[in-house]
Amino acid sequence: MASTTTTQIRVRGRPAHTAGPTYLSYTPDGTKLVTVGSNNTTRVYKTGFDGEPTNIDDCQEQNMGVDSTNDFFVSGSEDGTVSKYSFDTMSCDTFLMRCTLPIRDVCISSDGKWCAVASDELVVKIVGTSDASSMMYLREQLKPVKHISFDPSSKYIALSCTDGLVYVYSLLNDEPELVRKVDGLIRIVETDSEISSKVVWHPDGRVFAAPTATRDIQVVSKGDWENQRVFANGHSSDVTALAWSPNGAMLASAGKDRKIIIWETKTQKIIASYDYANVMDLAWHPTKNLLSFTNADGEVYIFNDFIPAEYANLLKLGLQPAPFIHDPLTETSANSRRQTTNAAKEIPHRGARRGTPDSLDDILGSDIMGDEDDFVVDDDGAGYALGLNGNGKRPNGDIDGHAGPLSKRPVHVWEPQFHQSFQPGSTPWRGNRKYMCLNLIGFVWTVDQDTHNTVTVEFYDHEFYRDFHFTDTFLYDKACLNENGTLFSSPADHKTLATVFYRPHETWTTRTEWRTELPKGEDVTAISLSESFVTVTTSANYVRIYTLFGIPYRVYRQKSSPTVSCASWRDYVLTLGNGSVGADGNTKLLYTIQNIKRDEICQSEDIVALPDGATVKSVFFSDNGDPCIYDSTGTLLVLLHWRTPSQASWVPFLDTKLLSRLASGRKTESYFPVAVADNKFHCIILKGGDLYPYFPRPLLSEFDFEIPLSSNPKPDSGDGDQDMDATEGDELKKLESQFVLKSLLAAQQQDLVDYTKSSHTQRTALARMEVEIDKTLLQMMAVECREGEERGMRALEMVTLLRDRSGRMIDAAGKVAERYGRTVLGEKIREVAEARLLNGMDED
Amino acid sequence: MALPLPQGLTPLEVAFVCEMEMVTVIPRQQLKSQDLIAGPTPGLRPPHRASLPLWFALLLKRQRRANILPPPWLLPSSLEKILRHETEISPDTFSPPPPHPHPISTRPAATDHLAPPFLPSSTADAPPGYLPYHWLELGDILLEACSDDIPDADRVRTLLRDLREVRMAKMRASANDLEGGGVSSFKGVGAMEIAEGRQFIVGVMDGLRKLGASREVARREREEDEGGGAGGANSDDEEMEME
Repeated sequence: MASTTTTQIRVRGRPAHTAGPTYLSYTPDGTKLVTVGSNNTTRVYKTGFDGEPTNIDDCQEQNMGVDSTNDFFVSGSEDGTVSKYSFDTMSCDTFLMRCTLPIRDVCISSDGKWCAVASDELVVKIVGTSDASSMMYLREQLKPVKHISFDPSSKYIALSCTDGLVYVYSLLNDEPELVRKVDGLIRIVETDSEISSKVVWHPDGRVFAAPTATRDIQVVSKGDWENQRVFANGHSSDVTALAWSPNGAMLASAGKDRKIIIWETKTQKIIASYDYANVMDLAWHPTKNLLSFTNADGEVYIFNDFIPAEYANLLKLGLQPAPFIHDPLTETSANSRRQTTNAAKEIPHRGARRGTPDSLDDILGSDIMGDEDDFVVDDDGAGYALGLNGNGKRPNGDIDGHAGPLSKRPVHVWEPQFHQSFQPGSTPWRGNRKYMCLNLIGFVWTVDQDTHNTVTVEFYDHEFYRDFHFTDTFLYDKACLNENGTLFSSPADHKTLATVFYRPHETWTTRTEWRTELPKGEDVTAISLSESFVTVTTSANYVRIYTLFGIPYRVYRQKSSPTVSCASWRDYVLTLGNGSVGADGNTKLLYTIQNIKRDEICQSEDIVALPDGATVKSVFFSDNGDPCIYDSTGTLLVLLHWRTPSQASWVPFLDTKLLSRLASGRKTESYFPVAVADNKFHCIILKGGDLYPYFPRPLLSEFDFEIPLSSNPKPDSGDGDQDMDATEGDELKKLESQFVLKSLLAAQQQDLVDYTKSSHTQRTALARMEVEIDKTLLQMMAVECREGEERGMRALEMVTLLRDRSGRMIDAAGKVAERYGRTVLGEKIREVAEARLLNGMDED
Repeated sequence: MALPLPQGLTPLEVAFVCEMEMVTVIPRQQLKSQDLIAGPTPGLRPPHRASLPLWFALLLKRQRRANILPPPWLLPSSLEKILRHETEISPDTFSPPPPHPHPISTRPAATDHLAPPFLPSSTADAPPGYLPYHWLELGDILLEACSDDIPDADRVRTLLRDLREVRMAKMRASANDLEGGGVSSFKGVGAMEIAEGRQFIVGVMDGLRKLGASREVARREREEDEGGGAGGANSDDEEMEME
């Protein structure tokens, strides 16, 4: 017997049924094994009892599927009936459903309340197990469905359709909703074929695996539907059955090449391989080292000690993480702390496992071994990291004493929520790709190739810059791009130190790129690049500043910690950090702006104005050098008067929730901020609940600034014949928002002129802006005058707001009043003009 | 003899006129502002968008110096909406032209006299769901010149084809109204459609006018004959012949 492992005992098959397709299922408590086959007897084997099984006679013949709970099991037969059997009475309870065509698969949800049935009919039905009259229908697929499977939370169901697509439905609402069609995963297989196209969900519920046409087993993540790791080069023929071990540490697959293969999830390597032909179905015992399987001859194999002894400890582990290329949970773990405030979620229940006598755990105690699986940080509170303790271990103090359901726990220790660090303009890994930097110069992205990454830098301006591409052995995960060069940083590892790498776009010497390493134990949290400096904030709360060619220029410790992010523009560096805890339980986000060259602090530990619970999505400088922040509520805030200490204020320049394109209420989209330039907000529009842009790179969109003044933006109605009053009101509103916006932009320009060596064009631009503001005020006044005499006071107020000191604008205002025949107003305007003339320059 | 040219603009001429429409481009390299007869063009700085005349945009596209951003009405979702409007919501009339960007108020304004060919209707901020004056030729030109910039270009091509057929049928059906001497509303009809339909409609109107004229002549003769007391059978025969 050819085998990759050591000596194997050939287990004898038990003749359970007559030759034909045979299926089996373990009850969740592991006490019973149910097998169904082509004859009209169903057999129930007791685990650990080698005698004759209990038979249930007078069942349907040609059964095609079985699934069980602790109390009952359900089988579906080719004659179109789905029957429910009770373990108490060991007899048929009811018919759950009758279809016109043969049943192909049945699957019970994890709570046992629903049973999904796939038949040769086009519609997949989900029937209530206790109440057969409640039904849900899944209708989107165009061909019959071969396999179905509920995800561990029973919130999703995946259908392997015979058209070669996997349909994933969400069952969160009463009405099932198609979430995704996954194309190119499974092959096209007829419903009565032995070849399996079954989707199996990993027990942690974040990924599923399915056999592909290339006889590999592909893992696909839920949510972004990207291909993750693959279990490759095991079978030389099509896969016929597939099952994850109960803790997700191993995957068993059987193929038409007469082999059963056990894979290790973490490494995707083959642990063991056995030779058994025609295997139709595999079932892991929920806790024991026991795997049972059936073949097409009606035989059942109950295989004790199936996992070789050297790997048997894998079964004793708690729930193992799914094989991601870049696990979204471990990605953030480097700089996140355990948060228990929101962890009150259900812990997936696994049967308590008996400890092995004299195991290492018993000898060493829990403290040493307890932390071995702590690489999954349960920062979103989904509970799987807590599931590590199902084995009687208590690795972490704060789970002690919570024997009852978590929801009934006493209030536990309060911990502040703080802002996570982020790199502006980057996206997290999705599949094996991520954008490291997106801005108006170009974009930097990287592809994980297992042993190395490949980094590509592309520019928008193809004439000025040349795109480049390199193989990256340092595994850079952050990047910055500007007109002069590209800055990369790689994270610290057990062996390697965190590195920073700068590559200028053009040089006149042979080699100007430089690389520097951070001290041991220090990791990069954010990097930024300006025309003159490289800024690195680190996990040790240092801000390290280098010149463009790698001379360390300054190192200081950030006052607010942990650090969040940084941005820079010319000599100015903005750093963000967590400050003290605010009233909403979140830490206050603090920012500091420094001029590095002049060694001045412009704003020191000032607060970033954020609403309760909101966080910052991105921070960057606009093209005029004003700090901008885009927050999680979709508001763009620009810092005004930031060059004078303690004069800064955050002004909302655009609220994307109030955009007129969303006024119809039908669109749901979010925006990924890219830059602020030319008084426009540049972003990427994300549709369909996406949070980050993905490949192919979407187009940039731009929106004009719009100060959020009122919540009824002009709707995109097609009819031109609006009410007259409405148009007048609109006009006034438009002028008003223009007035505010222009005033703010003029204030920015004023700051720029005052604090920098301003050029002549900048000063004339400022003068022109002021004239524009006055013009807008005059237009507003004209509207008020037209509206009637009673609006005169408002019109007069507008006149007093005029900035012009020469008196020409006030004259013009008088003429406007005259033109509309508002003589009293004209009189008052003259009075204002005279008063201004008298007070002269000493006003204000 | 005059040149044997048909009346009005030929389709080629319409397509030429269409090239003055403004479109939005995303430049791929920098270009300074150019002084053209129609005024200076905006300076191009990638990836900032800029509005350029179509002919200039096509030139840049052909040299791979810019990408053309298709106008929102040329997206499949918008075209589907228009097609639904044409076929289901109002199967008898043409879908309306885009709304005037400067609402006409009681106060006279300089913008009141701007009419479709002189209003930018194909830039990136044009409203979706309305066919502008030059829709057919612009769609054709863009599909030919920059199908790689248009999402789902094949679908757009078939939708444009569908729309064209639906509207052609309406155009021909409108000839029925002409018989009564009336003229049906051409609101929302594009330049190319008018250029194409002109021959047919003018022909029909001309024919009707001739028929009406001969009838008129016959009537007048009859009246004269009645006045002279001659037989009416002759004129009846004449009418039969005409029909």
